[in-house]
Amino acid sequence: MQELQRSLSSFGPEVVLTVGLLLVVLADAGLRTWRNQAVRALSVLTLAGALWAVVDLAGQVAPGPIFSGMLAIDPLGLFFKFVLVLASFILVLAFTFQNSRELAGLGQGEFHALLLALTLGCLLMTGSNDIVMLYLSLETVSITSYVMVAYLKGDRLSNEAALKYLLFGAVSTGAMLYGLSLLFGLTGATGLPEIRAALAGGYDDAGRLTLYLITLLLVAGFGFKIAAVPFHFWCPDAYQGAPTPVTALLSVVPKAAGFGLLLRFFFGGMTTSLAGTWDLTGSIEWPAVLMLVSVATMTWGNVAAITQVDMKRLLAYSSIAHAGYMLMGVVALSANGARGVMVYLLVYLFMNLGAFLVVTLIHQREGTFDLRDYPGMVKRQPVLTLAMSIFLLSLMGIPPLTGFMGKFYVFAAVIEKGPHLWWFAAVGAVNAAIAAWYYARVMRVMVIDESDEPREAWSLAPVDAAWLGALVAANVLPLLFWDRIEAFARGSLTLWAGL
Amino acid sequence: MTPETVTFYALALVTVGSAAVCVMARSLIYSAFSLLFTFVGVAGFYLLLGADFLAATQFLVYVGGILVLLLFGVMLTHKLYDLDLKSGFSQFGPGLVAAGAIFALLLAMAVKTPWKVAGGRLPAPTTAELGQQFLGTYLLPFEVASVLLLVALMGATLIVRRRKDA
Amino acid sequence: MIGLQHYLIVSAALFALGLLGVLTRRNAVNVLMGLELILNSANLNLVAFTRYGSGNFGGQVFAVFVIVVAAAEVAVALALVLTMYRLRRTPNLDAAASLRG
Repeated sequence: MQELQRSLSSFGPEVVLTVGLLLVVLADAGLRTWRNQAVRALSVLTLAGALWAVVDLAGQVAPGPIFSGMLAIDPLGLFFKFVLVLASFILVLAFTFQNSRELAGLGQGEFHALLLALTLGCLLMTGSNDIVMLYLSLETVSITSYVMVAYLKGDRLSNEAALKYLLFGAVSTGAMLYGLSLLFGLTGATGLPEIRAALAGGYDDAGRLTLYLITLLLVAGFGFKIAAVPFHFWCPDAYQGAPTPVTALLSVVPKAAGFGLLLRFFFGGMTTSLAGTWDLTGSIEWPAVLMLVSVATMTWGNVAAITQVDMKRLLAYSSIAHAGYMLMGVVALSANGARGVMVYLLVYLFMNLGAFLVVTLIHQREGTFDLRDYPGMVKRQPVLTLAMSIFLLSLMGIPPLTGFMGKFYVFAAVIEKGPHLWWFAAVGAVNAAIAAWYYARVMRVMVIDESDEPREAWSLAPVDAAWLGALVAANVLPLLFWDRIEAFARGSLTLWAGL
Repeated sequence: MTPETVTFYALALVTVGSAAVCVMARSLIYSAFSLLFTFVGVAGFYLLLGADFLAATQFLVYVGGILVLLLFGVMLTHKLYDLDLKSGFSQFGPGLVAAGAIFALLLAMAVKTPWKVAGGRLPAPTTAELGQQFLGTYLLPFEVASVLLLVALMGATLIVRRRKDA
Repeated sequence: MIGLQHYLIVSAALFALGLLGVLTRRNAVNVLMGLELILNSANLNLVAFTRYGSGNFGGQVFAVFVIVVAAAEVAVALALVLTMYRLRRTPNLDAAASLRG
């Protein structure tokens, strides 16, 4: 009972989300008039409350396990929770059922319930300290996202995308589950600290091969969540078929949660972790495995994006490539590497949500996601074009926009590991150059190209313009107070790993 | 030739044999019913391994729930007069090679790995122990599972319901 | 004498067969059946390790949660398959090729 009380006091954000989820379900079932507005208001309030709870926890919590070792509370987890709740919060406010042509007219209740459930699952994922919790939270996020992709009920594309997403995802997590069962057999424990202690004992050759196999199987599940090659095949289809607000959500929130999980599992579970320095256990070179995945992911994502004309598919491949860059930080296996991943996710959130907001607004007015319909946009809606250009430049990693900072930290973490990794950083740099090409192409089409038939200019709703402005500011202004952000990230580098 | 050995090999034959039939059969009904035998075989294994509650759950949920759902899926996705219910393969060769290689790998691993052996757990009634764990160490996953089920329930209903909501 | 390896070999066979089903079948319901085989093989591993391996009861607890997740997944999957059939009149996955990779 004591344990339960103690655990609950560190469980604020999740409790808020759960209560909010239940209230949304009840409101959706019970109310008749004002149902959609009530549901949305509840959702916004819940996410605001969760955000406040995360910030409130940040100052006062001591790193440690809660709920009998199922979750771990530490500054690293809180950083990720902050990013996750912030992303969902911005999403609910900026992407409404009013400014999305796809969602107009559909019921909002389930959407918000699913959104809150997904955020809750993601929070649990980043805190998971036990393989049972890991599996359950990952599947909660997965199942919720399968349903959200299928939200456009009469639409063939949405349904097909969701089914393919589900089948691919279920098999990937099934393989991951098999790997988890083998890990359980090898170490005799379900908690990450115990697993790490067992692994530290070292194994003979047969044991090490098994550990490699386990790592590959686990990478199947984790890779699926962050859309890393070769577990990314679901990504372009799911992003294209889903309603764009859902796509925006999927591109940021589960991906961030996946990286939180990756960091905790590999840094905290498969290394002998000491504050600040991480060392591999006597066993295996898992960074090498992740390095290959990272190279494949960056390269495939960037190369495939070059030929895309559907904006949602282009941004899907772009987000695949970004996961590749973020993996560089995990491969670096250092405090700076972890910090790189964290900073990258924080800036990525603003760039990506901004780009998807632009795509949504263009679709709302012009009914198209096709890049070939974008020429002349600068004349029709110059503010939007300017905003999109900022987002694209940030995605490219051009200083002084915040996108550059993400890449900088990750590349620096890899380079400082030593000359043997410089080729890896070079691959990253080449990839960034390739990516610049297709981001620039979108800008060129919008600004320089002329459209065939004359189309009339249109204006943005004030709310949409305000959100665009806020996201642009988030991409431009942080450089002014970067030391505060850096301190926040650096201060969050404590990973409780059951020492 | 103890009773345990005979039972094990009989169950293994039933389980793996019907799994093979399930994967290879052209008729969907044959696949579904052989899957039934696979699930029953696995439940038998659970009993042999001393997991009595789990065996009962396997029956109730897998056979009584999941298999019935799969049968609904089979029946409702074909025109009623199309009693053939045939289903084809694609790229069987490469798939077989991949699955065969993986089986060989897993086989080698199963035999050679130094699994953690610490006395094991002799068959004993497990229901009380499971209850203790669900409300003790594994309380949080237990509660999260209920959120998962809520979401799945809402989701499945949302997807299948015909009328559009406003 | 039946030991740990015996069960692991059976589960390896189930995993491989499930994977074969997932990789080679065209009908969505068949792919789901393969998926269930994979999940059952992992469960068998977990229970076998509890019995013959470390004796950690968490293996059986984990297995119960896997059954829960499998049920939820199948429910959502079949809802999607039914809707696909309603929209396209076929449950075959390669007919669902509107999205190009």
